[in-house]
Amino acid sequence: MSETTLAMAVVLLPLLAAVATTVLRPLRLVHLAHVPAVVGFGAAAVLAFWLLLQVQDAKVPSFINAPIPWFSLGNLRVTVSIHVDPLSATMLATVTFVAAWIAIFSAGYMHGDSGYDRYFAVMGLFVFSMCLLVLANNFLLLVAGWEGVGLCSYLLVGYYYAKPSAAAAARKAFLVTRLGDVGFLLGIFLLWQAGHYEMNLNQLFTNLVLHPPSDGTLTTACLLLFCGAVGKSAQFPLYVWLPDAMEGPTPVSALIHAATMVTAGVYLLARCAPIYAMSSAATATVALIGGITACLAAFLAVGQTDLKRVLAYSTVSQLGFMFMALGCMRAITPGIAVAAAIFHLFTHAFFKALLFLGSGSVMHAMGGVDIRKFGGLRRLMPVTHLTFLAGAAALAGIPPLAGFWSKDQILDALNEACDSDSPNGAIYAIVLGLALIAAAMTAFYTFRAYFLTFWGEERIPPEAGHHAHESPWVMLAPLCVLAVGAVFAGIAVEPFGNGFSHFLSRSPSVELANVVYAKQTNLIPIEHPHLNLTVAGVGMGLAFLGFGLAAVLYRKGGPEVVPPMLVPVFEASKNKLYVDEIYNATVVKPAEVLATASRQVDGAVGSLARLVAFLPKAVGTFLRPLQNGLVQFYALGMVLGLAVFLTLVVARFTR
Amino acid sequence: MIGVWHYLAVAAVLFGLGLVGFLTRRNLITMFLCAELMLQGVVLNLVAFSKFHGNLSGQVFGLVVITVAACEAGMAMALFVLLYRRAKTLDASDWQGVREDQIPAAPEEAGPPMAEPAPAYPTLTPAGARPSAGEEAPARV
Repeated sequence: MSETTLAMAVVLLPLLAAVATTVLRPLRLVHLAHVPAVVGFGAAAVLAFWLLLQVQDAKVPSFINAPIPWFSLGNLRVTVSIHVDPLSATMLATVTFVAAWIAIFSAGYMHGDSGYDRYFAVMGLFVFSMCLLVLANNFLLLVAGWEGVGLCSYLLVGYYYAKPSAAAAARKAFLVTRLGDVGFLLGIFLLWQAGHYEMNLNQLFTNLVLHPPSDGTLTTACLLLFCGAVGKSAQFPLYVWLPDAMEGPTPVSALIHAATMVTAGVYLLARCAPIYAMSSAATATVALIGGITACLAAFLAVGQTDLKRVLAYSTVSQLGFMFMALGCMRAITPGIAVAAAIFHLFTHAFFKALLFLGSGSVMHAMGGVDIRKFGGLRRLMPVTHLTFLAGAAALAGIPPLAGFWSKDQILDALNEACDSDSPNGAIYAIVLGLALIAAAMTAFYTFRAYFLTFWGEERIPPEAGHHAHESPWVMLAPLCVLAVGAVFAGIAVEPFGNGFSHFLSRSPSVELANVVYAKQTNLIPIEHPHLNLTVAGVGMGLAFLGFGLAAVLYRKGGPEVVPPMLVPVFEASKNKLYVDEIYNATVVKPAEVLATASRQVDGAVGSLARLVAFLPKAVGTFLRPLQNGLVQFYALGMVLGLAVFLTLVVARFTR
Repeated sequence: MIGVWHYLAVAAVLFGLGLVGFLTRRNLITMFLCAELMLQGVVLNLVAFSKFHGNLSGQVFGLVVITVAACEAGMAMALFVLLYRRAKTLDASDWQGVREDQIPAAPEEAGPPMAEPAPAYPTLTPAGARPSAGEEAPARV
C-alpha cells in the first residue's frame, strides 16, 4: 500500500466508525456504540504507526496523493490533496494513538449514559477532522478540518446540553475561537495572494520564499495566521474558553482540550515554519504571547479548587511553552525550534491525556472534582494514584520523565535565542524569564493538586456513594499505557541521538525554513540541539523547587491551608485574576448594550411600519359610517358635492 | 318674446322639483318618477340650446335620452315588482343591505307600512230603472 493510500485510510477509518455508530440506535445496539470507535481508532493508530515507519525509511519523506477534485470556481480548482511528511506523520500517529486509548477509557467512563452513541459518533467525527487538518495539503482543506474539530469541540463541550453551564461553555468556546478564526482566514487569503494563488502548501511556501512580499505584508500575514492559532490553542488573550470547556465529559477534555485539538495552532505554525522564519517581528510576538500565556495560566492554575480546571490552565500554560519554542524560529535554526515545540506537543499529549483520564477516574469514583471535598485517595485508588503521579511528575518536569526533556529543549531554544544576534534578544530574555517562572509554578500547582487529592487522611464526599472504589480495568488500562508513554516517550526518542529532531527536520517545510534561515542570517543551520547542562540544571532545580514547596505545604493533605501572607495571591488566582469579569465588563457588556440599542432601533422601525398600516385603518374608521346602504343618503352626498362644485365654478367665473 | 332663458328656467324648475322629490320621497316609484323629471329637465335644456344654436345635434341627443329613459322605465318597473313581492313594501329605506359591516341600520322612522291594497273588483252599472234615493244599490259581480 502506498503511503498516501495508507494516510487516506487513517483519515477515513474514524469517519467510517462515526457513520457506523449512527446506525446502532435503530438497531437497538446503543450499548455497543464504543465498538466502532475503538476498532476504528485502533486500526487507524496501527496504520498511522506503520505509515510513520515507512516515512522514516523513505529516502525523500514527502508524499502527495493524486489530487481528487473537490470543487472549482472559475480558474480556481480546489482539490482534496494530502501531504505525508515526518511532521504530519508524527502528529497523525500521536492523535490516533491517544484517541484509541481514550475511546477505550470512554467505554468505561460513559457507560450507561443516555447519549452513549451520540458521544462516540462525535468522537469519530472529531478524529476524522483532526486527521484531515493534519494531512491537508492546501489551506482550504486545512480550514475544513479546523472548523470540523471546532464543531466537534462545541458538540462535546455541550454534551450535557440540558445543563445551562455546559451549553454556555460550548457557546463560549465556539465564539471565542471564532474571533481568532477571522484573523486566520484573512491571513490565509493574504498569503494566498502573496504566493501567486498557489494551492499546494509546499509550493506556496516556495513561491513566498523565492519572491518574498514586503516585510509588512509578510508580518501581517504571519500575525493573522497566529490569531487563528491563539484562538484554537487558547493563548492570551483568548484563552478564557478552555477552562470553561471543562464542562464536557472528562475523556473529551483529555482528547480535545489537552492532547489534540488545542495543539492544532502549534501544528499550524510548525507547518508554516518557512514564512515565520522570514519575519522576526512576528516570531518575537509569538514568543512573547506564548511567554505571557504560560506564566499567566500557571499562576491561575495555582489557586484553582477544581481538579479539571487546574489541568485546563496547565494545558494553556504548556501550549504557551510550545509557542515560546516556535517563536524562536527566526532567532535560531527553525528546525530546532519546530522540533522543540512538536516534541513538547508529543510528550504533552501523553502526560496531559493521562492526567485528565486520571482526574476522570477520580471523578468517576468521587462524583465530583472539587479537591476540597476529597483527599487521601492513594490507598483507595492505587492504580489511579500511581499513574497520576507519573503524569504529574512528567508535567512538572522531573527528570528523566517525558516532560523534563521536552521542556528542557524549549528552555534551551529560548536560551540560544537570547544569545543569538537577533534584534529581539531582549524580548527573548524576558520570555526566557517568564518560562522559568512558569516552569517553577508548573511543578508547584501540579503537586499541589496531587497532594491534595491523594495524600493525607482519607476523605470521601457523601455524593460518592457506592462508587468510591478503584475504577474498572477498562479505564485503568489506558491509564497504564499512557503512564508508560509519559515516563518513557521523552527519553526513548530524543535525548540520546536526537532521533526526533532529525526525523522532523527532514520535513520539506522545515528544510525550507532552514534554507530561509541560512539565507537571511548567513549562518549554517545547526543539525541537532545540544544539551545545555546549565539550562537543564536550572530547569531541574526549578522543578524540584516547586515540588518541594508543594510537598512542604500540602504533604499532610486535608483541607488546603494557605500561608496568611499569601492569601490575597491565592484569592486572585482562584478568581482567575478577574479576567472573565474584565472581559465581561469591557467586551460582553458593551456588546450587550449595542445589541439592546439595535433592538430598540429595530423596534422603532417596526413601529414606523405599523404606523403606516395604522393610518388608513384610522381614516377608514371615520369614513365607514358614510356607507350606510341608504340610496337617498348617497344621492344627498352627490347633490352636496355638486353644490360645492357649482359654487366654486360660479365663484370662479363671476369674479 | 320667449327666449332661451325661459326654456332654461322651466328646465331648472323641472330639475329642482325632481331633485327635491328624489331626496324627500321614499316610495320607489315616486323616486323613479322624480328621476325622470330631472332627466326631462335636462332634455329640455338640450332642446332649448339646439333651437338657440340652430343645429339638430341637441335634439338628436334629446331623442336618445328619451329612448334610454324608456328602457330604464321598463327595467325599473320590473325590478320594483320583484322587490315588492319580496317585502310587500315600496319603501326605499327598507333595502339597506348593501352597507359596511359594523354600521347599524338606519332607525325605522317610517310611517305605518303600506296597507295591503283592498282588492278592487270591477262593477257594472245595474240594468233597469234608476233606483230610488236611499235604496242601497245591490252589488253585482
